[in-house]
Amino acid sequence: MPTSTIKNQAKSDHIDSVVSLSEKKTSSSKSELDCQCPVVKAENFSFYYGSKAGVKDISMEFYPCSVTAIIGPSGCGKSTFLRSINRINDLIPNTSVKGNLFVNGHNVYDKNTNLVNLRQQVGMVFQKPNPFPKSIFDNIAYGPKLQGVKSRSKLQQIVEESLKAAALWKEVKDDLKKSALALSGGQQQRLCIARALATKPNTLLMDEPCSALDPIATGKIEDLIGRLQSDYTIVIVTHSMQQAARISRRTAFFCLGELIEYGSTVDIFRNPGKKQTEDYVTGRFG
Amino acid sequence: MKYNTRHIINKIFTVVTAASVVLMIVILISVLGPMIWRGSSAVFFKSTVEFRKMQLDLHHRGDEAEIGDEISKSEIYRDFIYHKIDVFKKGINTDYYTDRVKQIYRKFSKELQYNGIKGDQLSRRRKFARGIRRDMEKAFKSLDKAEILQIIDDVNKCKGDERIANTKADEFFVLADEYKETIKNFDLSKRQQYAQALKEVEGLVRQLLGPRSDEPLPAMVMDRYGATRVDLAKELLDKIIWKRQWVQQNPDKPMVEEKVRRATQFAGTELESIFPYIEENFDTITIPRFTFYWQYFFDDSTSGHYFGGVGPEILGTLILTVLAMAFVFPLGVISAAYLVECASDNMAVRIIRMSINTLAGVPSIVFGLFGLAFFVLVFIPFFGGPSKPCILAASLTLAVLTLPVMIRASEEAIRSVPKTYKEASLGLGAGRFRTFVKVTFPAALPGILTGVILSLSRVAGETAPILFTGACAFGSVPKSLFSQTRTLSYGSYDIAVGDKIGMLVPHNQYGMVVTLVLLIICLNAIAIFFRAKIFRRLKGH
Repeated sequence: MPTSTIKNQAKSDHIDSVVSLSEKKTSSSKSELDCQCPVVKAENFSFYYGSKAGVKDISMEFYPCSVTAIIGPSGCGKSTFLRSINRINDLIPNTSVKGNLFVNGHNVYDKNTNLVNLRQQVGMVFQKPNPFPKSIFDNIAYGPKLQGVKSRSKLQQIVEESLKAAALWKEVKDDLKKSALALSGGQQQRLCIARALATKPNTLLMDEPCSALDPIATGKIEDLIGRLQSDYTIVIVTHSMQQAARISRRTAFFCLGELIEYGSTVDIFRNPGKKQTEDYVTGRFG
Repeated sequence: MKYNTRHIINKIFTVVTAASVVLMIVILISVLGPMIWRGSSAVFFKSTVEFRKMQLDLHHRGDEAEIGDEISKSEIYRDFIYHKIDVFKKGINTDYYTDRVKQIYRKFSKELQYNGIKGDQLSRRRKFARGIRRDMEKAFKSLDKAEILQIIDDVNKCKGDERIANTKADEFFVLADEYKETIKNFDLSKRQQYAQALKEVEGLVRQLLGPRSDEPLPAMVMDRYGATRVDLAKELLDKIIWKRQWVQQNPDKPMVEEKVRRATQFAGTELESIFPYIEENFDTITIPRFTFYWQYFFDDSTSGHYFGGVGPEILGTLILTVLAMAFVFPLGVISAAYLVECASDNMAVRIIRMSINTLAGVPSIVFGLFGLAFFVLVFIPFFGGPSKPCILAASLTLAVLTLPVMIRASEEAIRSVPKTYKEASLGLGAGRFRTFVKVTFPAALPGILTGVILSLSRVAGETAPILFTGACAFGSVPKSLFSQTRTLSYGSYDIAVGDKIGMLVPHNQYGMVVTLVLLIICLNAIAIFFRAKIFRRLKGH
């Protein structure tokens, strides 16, 4: 018996510490959160690799100007779901979808969807920093050039704005001509964020953006996310529950391709509605 | 114990791998070394005065006064040798006398006509002269010295006859005396034998020394000069001094080759002395001088590559290689892009991939015949071009030949571009085409250039595919895509199979092969340089 008491005590301590972290940032009340109209909305969305379901029957909404974290054990379909939002999963052969997924009111999986527009509205940051083997300038100008921006001065302006928004400008302003691969890992990841911002999206999808970085670089990226959330809808997939608690306002818990629970971060960590969620956030599972 | 075993095995592994590398280097050196050594003799060699004369005549190279001086010095010896041969020749070759007699007779009848002699008078006098002519011709043909002297005596009796007195016919008697003088010390029974031996000697001497100064310029450039290289001249000298013949010493055994001094063939005649004479004065006649013939890489050559360089061959090889690469590069990259980016893994694609792999192993002569059957006979005529072997057909054939290599290398290169690059580009809204052109292709370029390097070497060195589709051994520098061209590979092949030419110009054959190797190394160096440059840029240095 004493062991179980200690265990319970430890559990509640853990939750408290996590929630206290999240409370610092997510101070707005629950009613305020729900009044906004969603930017991304999934209705009974399922994604199949061949006949195997990646995610099943997801219905959820992402709201503007806030950070939503998706957590869950490996292989639970959180990345699959994230990658379905801007249809980057199309690269994989033999996939199919069921249900609807709306971004800014348009059905993404409609036949007439303009993929270029969709992907420019929904920027993406990947797990591993993946700058092109080009100069810093060319990396960021890649998106705007696709949109048809040709003038050098305009491009210069966009590059500067994006780098400033990604908090990288001070570090690289003198060598924009240098190869992006010469930057450190954290800088490369911020460059990738800047590159995504350069197309002026309203949504940013982040697929474990800090998993390949050291704690200091991670801290910088988290600060950056905190600053960006006032302007963008950010969806972040993360393995680190501390990170989800620190930066997100809402959290969704996925397990085995299904959405188990979705609510404000405070509720998910302090007051989970489902047993599975509680097990996961307390570290008893996964 | 276990650790020790592992240690020993590791040591053995290191030794074996190192040994194989050393072996490879040794093989490479022992193959390339002699070839380069012999090939370099096309550029560095000892030249004779004939070489300098040829360079002056054909390319206006060298100091005219100095070379003229050298020529006149060697000409003294040359003329002496030819004079000896001429004198000897008159004894054995009576064609000269027969011609002279015929000429005298013709002159005589013309003179008569000119002097207005007609009718019976004319035919009577001509008949008499004809009798003398016939007698003399009989004497020239005869092998019996007594008979000849008898005939000449009879002819001389006609001297002063009123029918021919004071006419051109008087020359008959001069000629008769000349012939009598010539055969005095001559063994007529050996005439046939001498004639054959002399013909051989004269041919060799001519090859060594060049034509006589008083004869008209030969039509073939090859015949205008003697031996231009001291090494070839020494070989010829050896052939002149020594005669090789096959002798059956024992009826049960095969024939053996035997060296005989040629001078013994002419023992007791005037010609005997020229053999030691040539041998003694060899250096004075040829005037050897060390030469660096760098123009070898730019000069045109005479027929059969007897003189000159490999300029057109280098040009032709470069044109064919560059054109073939221009065809195969886009085709290979686009095909590889399809296989990697667009094709799904179905039966058709698998068959395509298998065909490409099979194609890489097809012998090149098959591609040569394919090129003839398709490009020369169908493809180019279809677009209004001429239906004959040409540079365009040859380069297209070479492109097809190396296409599998190019596709496979490009496919590997494109496949090895990190997927994250592609995702990043697509995530920014770029289409598949733009992603390929702007991101995947530049990142794959070093790998694709490896394919180019492999293809380059193959294309530049191939002979069989261009055999029927556009290569020629002789001919002018190509003027358009529809003319044939010479190439280094085909040139060395042609010398190798061309009858006897290869033996005359071994330096040229090796020279061509070494030039080809050097050319391929240069082309590869350029490609490797670019690859390294692109690679550095991709790595971000």
